Amino acid sequence: MNLTRIFRSLYFMRDHNFLLKSHHIASYSKRFPRKCFGIWSSKKVTEWNKAVSDAEKLVGYPTSLMGLRCFLSDEISNVAIQMRKLVGSKHPLLQTARGLIYNDSHTLQTRGLIVLLVCKAAGQPSGSDQDIDNSQRALAEITEMIYTACLIHKGVVNMSDLDLVDEVLEGMSSGNKMATLTGDFLLANACTELARLENTQVVENISCAIGNSMEAEFTKIKNCKTDVTFDDWLDQTYLTSGSLLAHSCQSALLLVGHKESYQTAAFNLGKNLAITRQLYEDINKFTQPETDDISPQILSTAPGVLYLGNRSSDFSEELLEDPKEQKKILKKIKESGELQQCKDLCKQYGIKARQSLHVFEHSVPRDALFRIINATTVS
Amino acid sequence: MNPRLHIDYNHLKPLTCSQTVPLRYNSAVIASLKTNPFSLVETEVSTLCDKIKQKFVSEKDELKDIADYYFDGKGKFFRPMVALLMAKAVNFHNTSEDSIWSSQEEIAMIAEIIHTASLIHDDVIDGSNTRRGKPTVDSVWGQKKAILAGDYLLSVSSVALARLGNTEVVEVLSQVIEDLVRGEFMQLGSKENENDRFNHYLKKTFKKTASLLANSCKAVSILGSSTEDISELAFEYGKNVGIAFQLIDDLLDFTSCEEVMGKPTAADLQLGLATAPVLFAAQDYPELNPMIMRRFNEEGDIERARKLVAKSDGVTQTRMLAEEHSKEAIRQIRTLKQSIPRDSLEQLAVLLLQRQK
Repeated sequence: MNLTRIFRSLYFMRDHNFLLKSHHIASYSKRFPRKCFGIWSSKKVTEWNKAVSDAEKLVGYPTSLMGLRCFLSDEISNVAIQMRKLVGSKHPLLQTARGLIYNDSHTLQTRGLIVLLVCKAAGQPSGSDQDIDNSQRALAEITEMIYTACLIHKGVVNMSDLDLVDEVLEGMSSGNKMATLTGDFLLANACTELARLENTQVVENISCAIGNSMEAEFTKIKNCKTDVTFDDWLDQTYLTSGSLLAHSCQSALLLVGHKESYQTAAFNLGKNLAITRQLYEDINKFTQPETDDISPQILSTAPGVLYLGNRSSDFSEELLEDPKEQKKILKKIKESGELQQCKDLCKQYGIKARQSLHVFEHSVPRDALFRIINATTVS
Repeated sequence: MNPRLHIDYNHLKPLTCSQTVPLRYNSAVIASLKTNPFSLVETEVSTLCDKIKQKFVSEKDELKDIADYYFDGKGKFFRPMVALLMAKAVNFHNTSEDSIWSSQEEIAMIAEIIHTASLIHDDVIDGSNTRRGKPTVDSVWGQKKAILAGDYLLSVSSVALARLGNTEVVEVLSQVIEDLVRGEFMQLGSKENENDRFNHYLKKTFKKTASLLANSCKAVSILGSSTEDISELAFEYGKNVGIAFQLIDDLLDFTSCEEVMGKPTAADLQLGLATAPVLFAAQDYPELNPMIMRRFNEEGDIERARKLVAKSDGVTQTRMLAEEHSKEAIRQIRTLKQSIPRDSLEQLAVLLLQRQK
């Protein structure tokens, strides 16, 4: 295993020029806008980062390093080397990789941490002094692997959507190849690791969550803009992030034989926390000044869905495609009652997430979970 | 809270229950086995497609359409048939009864679902446009949805697998998924050294093709409460049949015409892959070696390679190697008690050497 080689490749990606050699692909970047991470107010970012880093101390090691083991395999190191060739192609795989390496603690890699905190908050039914079982740590790692695999696969690009010169098309096609293989590799590893836990109910739960995460790309919200309701938004959020977090938290307690009420609580925590978080992120897209730079996705946010849902007769699908119209709608949503309604919803789901933790006794890890919930609830 | 979490224990009941008199078939059935060793499991196979589709419970219509796409009744169902025959053969060995357990039938379905998922991903990686005479999933729905639907199929197979409730079987079939990916990675790289190259090719062939057959044979054997020895021989049978199957496939890529195969011939060369016929030919014509290393990507490489393979005895040697694996498969299976399904498995190992497409 050539560690230095891998790290050299990975660090290469941190190079500032990494994503900037893109003069001939401007049209592409419009279609696939870079995910905007700058949506957090600085106070909340600090609150979140502190909650996360304090929580990481509790569970023993930084969860952000969990995925690293996968990067140490021959297969992935080959991909890392191949990625150099992708520079300039603007394939989404690069951005995903970049996100993993930069590892912004307020965006990714907190799923495993939450799973471990739940384990610690619930304790061990056997009364063992080891507060987190190895199987639970393995599951937290599997959760991260699956999440990353999904992220990578969702970055596969449809070749027919591109109208680019051949040279760039080739880059996109090899980017797709690598994204497919890397994601498959992570998923396959997750499968074998899951099998090693020797609990078929856990295998079933997590497999179900993988399926849900795929279904998330085939939902009503992904297919049309008009005629979507808040229930569709909830469905979308559950499938995208709720299911995996809920099933992982639940399964982690199942692994060590906790009673059903604990498992249900863990499931509900995962589900409601995911919803709270998504609401919070969606709301922030409207409260930050830089959001004048809008993307069509803004209409699939919770405030967008609620706003359009209440005025479904006013907007045709075509109208919503028009960037000028989108800008107008964005402005209106900012002042609408629906935005306030979303803030209330965010609070409510935050409360639900907190309530699910009440079955556990008071403890430091439980407090850490409360703080994480608070950091993602509208105050 | 979570509607998908229900457990259905029906699959743990026996599916076709036992005649106590060992395996009496009429002479017409026995005669048909000579040309079609699968006729013994035709009843089970005929319903398999619909049973598989019932597993796709997603409410998302488009995803379900993609999942159903290759289960149109036109697939060969080679893998499920081998698994079902193996189930019959080991069950007879263990109990002297003619039966297939529904858990074993599940394995047959799971094997086909995993296979289909890997086909969908392979087509994106290889950039193919047609499969089984119709457009590939990615040429209809685009690459992104193809990949995600492939993952969905995988998750459905894992759920089905988990519901069998047998941790050993879960491990055995999860290994297949890992092998498939590692095989795909191996296909991307080539070895400098010629000896390494052949080993690399065989190892890749095991992972990409034979592992699924080997491990599904092993899984049905475990579910039939076999001893470890029996499960191991089931694995060896599947492995050797799988390798022989792939060797013949690689050979047909050079010998058969496009119409018969339903896919362009010399497809492997076009993908830059050096399979057994080329690797054997390179022993007589070392000028093939640099072409192998550059993955036939220079002008005229593919034509020259085809001609050199035709001049050499690469095809004959590939066939001989396939015969060796076929013989080994038969040797393994003969440890089982004689029965009609066992004879069918033997016949299958012979017939696959003769296939034309």
